[in-house]
Amino acid sequence: MSAAPIPDGRLTIQKHRRFLQRHLAILPSKYQEYEANKLAIVTYALIGLSCIGDPVSEEYAASKEWLRRHYRVIGRGETSLAGFFPSLYMEVENALTLSLTSTLFGLISLLCLNDHKFFISDVDREGICRFVSKCHKPETGGFAASLDVVAEDSLEPSKTDPDDLRHTYMAIAILYLMGCRNASEFGRYVCLEPLFSHFEQKACVSGGFGQYGEPHAGYTSCALSILELISDRWDIFPNSFYDKTIEWLLQRQVSDKCPEMSGNEYFDPEDDGGFQGRENKFADSCYGFWCANSLSILKAPHKVGDAYQNGLSEYLLNKTQNLLLGGFAKNDNEDPDLYHTCLTLAALSMMSGEFDGTLFLPRKVADTARSQFIAP
Amino acid sequence: MSDAPEFQYDDIEPLPISGGQEGELCQIMYDGEYRTVMGIARALLQKLEFSERALHATSQAIDLVPAFYTMWNYRFQIVKALYGTDGAELNRELDWLDEFTLNNPKNYQIWSYRQALLRLHPSPEFQRELPILQSMIDDDTKNYHVWSYRRWCVLFFGDFTNELQFASSLIARDVYNNSAWCHRMFVLKNQVPKGPPAEALTGELHYTKKQIELAPQNISSWNYLRGLYDEFLDGKADPAIMEFALSFTPGIFAADASDTGPQIQSSYALEFLARAYAKNEDTFAQARKAYQALSDHFDPIRKNFWAYKIRSLTA
Ligand SMILES: [Zn+2]
Repeated sequence: MSAAPIPDGRLTIQKHRRFLQRHLAILPSKYQEYEANKLAIVTYALIGLSCIGDPVSEEYAASKEWLRRHYRVIGRGETSLAGFFPSLYMEVENALTLSLTSTLFGLISLLCLNDHKFFISDVDREGICRFVSKCHKPETGGFAASLDVVAEDSLEPSKTDPDDLRHTYMAIAILYLMGCRNASEFGRYVCLEPLFSHFEQKACVSGGFGQYGEPHAGYTSCALSILELISDRWDIFPNSFYDKTIEWLLQRQVSDKCPEMSGNEYFDPEDDGGFQGRENKFADSCYGFWCANSLSILKAPHKVGDAYQNGLSEYLLNKTQNLLLGGFAKNDNEDPDLYHTCLTLAALSMMSGEFDGTLFLPRKVADTARSQFIAP
Repeated sequence: MSDAPEFQYDDIEPLPISGGQEGELCQIMYDGEYRTVMGIARALLQKLEFSERALHATSQAIDLVPAFYTMWNYRFQIVKALYGTDGAELNRELDWLDEFTLNNPKNYQIWSYRQALLRLHPSPEFQRELPILQSMIDDDTKNYHVWSYRRWCVLFFGDFTNELQFASSLIARDVYNNSAWCHRMFVLKNQVPKGPPAEALTGELHYTKKQIELAPQNISSWNYLRGLYDEFLDGKADPAIMEFALSFTPGIFAADASDTGPQIQSSYALEFLARAYAKNEDTFAQARKAYQALSDHFDPIRKNFWAYKIRSLTA
């Protein structure tokens, strides 16, 4: 099941295809430093290929079993834990190496490969939800991405993991894919009240979300995606706050038509139309995705139109696309990389209505997940 | 590191790294060093060995795969098992981490690992953290993780003493540094639970106006100014601040402002004014004029948004 390809003649599809396929094939040793993110590499490449319309579920059908080998159930019955670890050799006996990150990327990859059987009958749904629950830190409201590798008396969230909104997003997205659809269903696995007060601390005065009052487009997208997935708790902020959020997001679009900013080293008129992640930073293609996703969750196009999308598409296609090597770069003078390629294609696909940014899946795949994988 | 003691691993059978599975994706061509280091570190973890040599093995593994969260966590558990809450030993671990941090500035496990060490430490000191914070900020003045870690420290140690001054020094280096402006707001919002005292607020307003005069087209300083009013002054712009903002937008509100529009120094000043005018029906006309000027001349990329603002002007 693939997305309708992005309808833009300037997209050098054949080159992007080869760029993305290369990342799924044999990789040189410099990639070994990304071993702990291997399922992220798989996901970014499969999502990128789906966005240009490739039938990845057919082309990579033979990898379904290999992906499933990253899935593990620990223990059995009422207390089992289930999830994914990032790479086959990173599973170590006597150690707990499952992670939320790998679990979400593992699930997304299997969805891209159309492995519905995994979701409908094979997965230990409660085991995955219990794993998410174990990563939760009710005292702060956040999540570690993994558990302490050697359990002392009981399984504890890792003391060495960060607990920012990215992990909260991953936890909530995993629970969604396991069937949770509203606050009372999510509430069976996580303590929502501390989660929401954690959330309130991340809401910045200017309308964005971030750590300790510094708004950041990536965290803003995580926060809004979480609210969208939980679906019935938008009331934790007043409507006026979401208006501020829209304004903050729109202000992230860089323009070359403004009064002079003398001495600002982080302003480049070539960035016109692109989005930055924070105030007074350069535009970066990935923030095009995070901002456009946030704006579409807030239904900004209904309120303020979708003109921002035109400028963004122009920027992405004209400035960050690498016509020689394929792929997209973060801006107009870096080399292309897999992450920015995936996020840019996802942004373009989302703007043509073919990508679900909240679940980070092609629209059709997301629709299936949304309608079929409902809590029993 | 040349001064690292030599550890013996001869008795350890390295766990193999097997490749070439059916259907494998992203098949990485691991080099020999990688296979050895990862083989030993994983074998030690499997044995649950908590020893100096295991600690050393984790540092080698982390050097090769900085995001390997399992190794970070294993390392922490080794540190705990070997040193407990011995402050001197934990400082030695912090020294190792300082070195690693300088070589891996973008890694993001380093900061949460640090937090775990400080929580374990019997007598942690903010002083001990300042040099690494300083050199990381010097290296990249907008590094989000470093600023976040600094704010975590401020709350953890409950020490705000040097923070406004620190923010000022970064703003003096680059008035457009948004992280430094956010740091200021963080201090104001957290230092005194019920908000800063009046004289402090007056000082902040004065400081901000000076910075705006240096660089009028700066969203960071204008956001900060807006934040001061929204958070601590009931969102009510007084005549003095309106006068101040108007000084950057000469002629905009003149009855006969021509279509081509005069030159202004700051679109953010115009937004500030528009927002204030939009709060009162009596000044809707000025608000409309300001939004229209933004739309036509000074911020046309957000044309639709300014149109939405004009539509929203209702009593
Ligand atoms: Zn980026």
